[in-house]
Amino acid sequence: MLEAHDLMVFYENMIALNNISIKCDESQIVGIFGANSAGKSTLMYSLSGIMLDIRKKELMAGGERITLRGEVIFQSQNIMNLKPSLRAKAGIVLCPERRRLFKESSVLENLRIGGYLATKAQAKHTLEYVMEVYPALQKLKNRLGGFLSGGEQQMVAIGRALMAQPKVLLLDEPLLGLSPLMQATLIKSTKAIQKEKKISIIIAEQYARPVFPIVDYAYILENGAAVMEGTREELMNNPDVKSAYFGVS
Amino acid sequence: MEILVYGTINSVSLALMGLGFAMVYGISRVPNFAHGALYIVCGFVTWTLFHKIGLPYFISIILSLCVNGVLGILMYRFVLIRVRGMNISEIIASYAIGLAILEGFRFGGFRGMTYTLPVFMEGSLMIGSVPVDFHRLIMMVIGILLVAGLWVFTHHTRIGLALQGMAQDERAALMLGIDSDFMAMLAMGFGAVLAGVAATLILPLGNIVVESGYHVLIMSIAVCIVGGLGSWTGAFFAAFIIGYAQILTVVFIGSHFQMVVALLAIILTLILKPSGLFGQQKELEERV
Repeated sequence: MLEAHDLMVFYENMIALNNISIKCDESQIVGIFGANSAGKSTLMYSLSGIMLDIRKKELMAGGERITLRGEVIFQSQNIMNLKPSLRAKAGIVLCPERRRLFKESSVLENLRIGGYLATKAQAKHTLEYVMEVYPALQKLKNRLGGFLSGGEQQMVAIGRALMAQPKVLLLDEPLLGLSPLMQATLIKSTKAIQKEKKISIIIAEQYARPVFPIVDYAYILENGAAVMEGTREELMNNPDVKSAYFGVS
Repeated sequence: MEILVYGTINSVSLALMGLGFAMVYGISRVPNFAHGALYIVCGFVTWTLFHKIGLPYFISIILSLCVNGVLGILMYRFVLIRVRGMNISEIIASYAIGLAILEGFRFGGFRGMTYTLPVFMEGSLMIGSVPVDFHRLIMMVIGILLVAGLWVFTHHTRIGLALQGMAQDERAALMLGIDSDFMAMLAMGFGAVLAGVAATLILPLGNIVVESGYHVLIMSIAVCIVGGLGSWTGAFFAAFIIGYAQILTVVFIGSHFQMVVALLAIILTLILKPSGLFGQQKELEERV
């Protein structure tokens, strides 16, 4: 459904993504694991097209020169040069790192801004669905986005992305800075969303352990390159992965 | 009493001038230095349609507002889109457009004190012991309705919410499929229409002169800086502060010090609280 072939991204002369090819099939949850600066966010930005916007802004401000190579295929079409807003319309929606909520808007408004691409009926339906998946938001409806805890913010961020009617949902570090309890809740709800909405989800995360149980397939990034990939079982039984990402020797 | 009534009226007219500027900056981060020119364009277009072509007043107003909106959109689509993100170039480009328009009018013979628009309604009313003409009252009512309307628009419509999202975090909005260039173009159009609304409400009170284009630009910048760049509520409150301060100066010091107030307000704000009353950007930067 969503594939990247030989994706390369350079910031000036520094290579951020090195020949990465990944693939996410329909109704699959794919994990992307790697340490800080392994290239997870760059990969997510490249898939969702935000990289094009970053490149444009950098060019305008006279900042870093960003070079993109390779192809991103979505529903057997090359979308490498498609604008990010059109990619979102096609169904690739990114829920960004650090959530980036609209801090001065209420939770409800955040969700409704997310529903920009949805029809009225879809928006209404999805809004109900979000409240059902995250009942905690029900009480916080009128609270401003900036006054929420990290976990609540993440729920709103995922809900907001869902409002855009994604076919592929990209979650960039959804568990960043959350308590283990909150992490477990979010992961469970992510799985539930995937099942209910029949969408594909790509999760980029530093710590593989909490996410691993729900992924169907995973890639491990190191310094911008995919050093390992495999189904959950394959990676689980790989001694290198065990020691590096699960802390089991 | 006089101070209260005329202070409020002056504040509302300042708010009207500043709203368009604040909106465009808040959403697209482009300081629209052609704001004053758009204001004057609306005045002269209305004048031409009404006096030269002979259309009814109301229709000429609506038409010239449309002209303004289209002009704003074209300005963004063909000029500002190319420099968006380059701070200095945005200012230079939009100011150049503004200059070209204003001086073009002067060159085209729109000079002198002969260009006036009729007021909406003749007559006046006594509020306490202060006479207020109906037009100023209408201006106040429409101004307040406009602010309320804008609030409803930005909180309850799809486009309005998208504009709000973009104003807060452009890239996050982009991830949700909100096309920033299209929205910035819309914002520019709305801003131009707001400048036009201000013009149709304020210009009948005096002459349409090219110079007032510059005056409006300075006032709207003053309002936006005091209120905090990018904050509409801030601009609204700042308009009241500057508006009352101006009237107080007129009453107690002298009317020719009126303009000094606005400039002094800019300077004081920049010294005491550079982010403005309601601005967040600078504070965020400081925190980081």
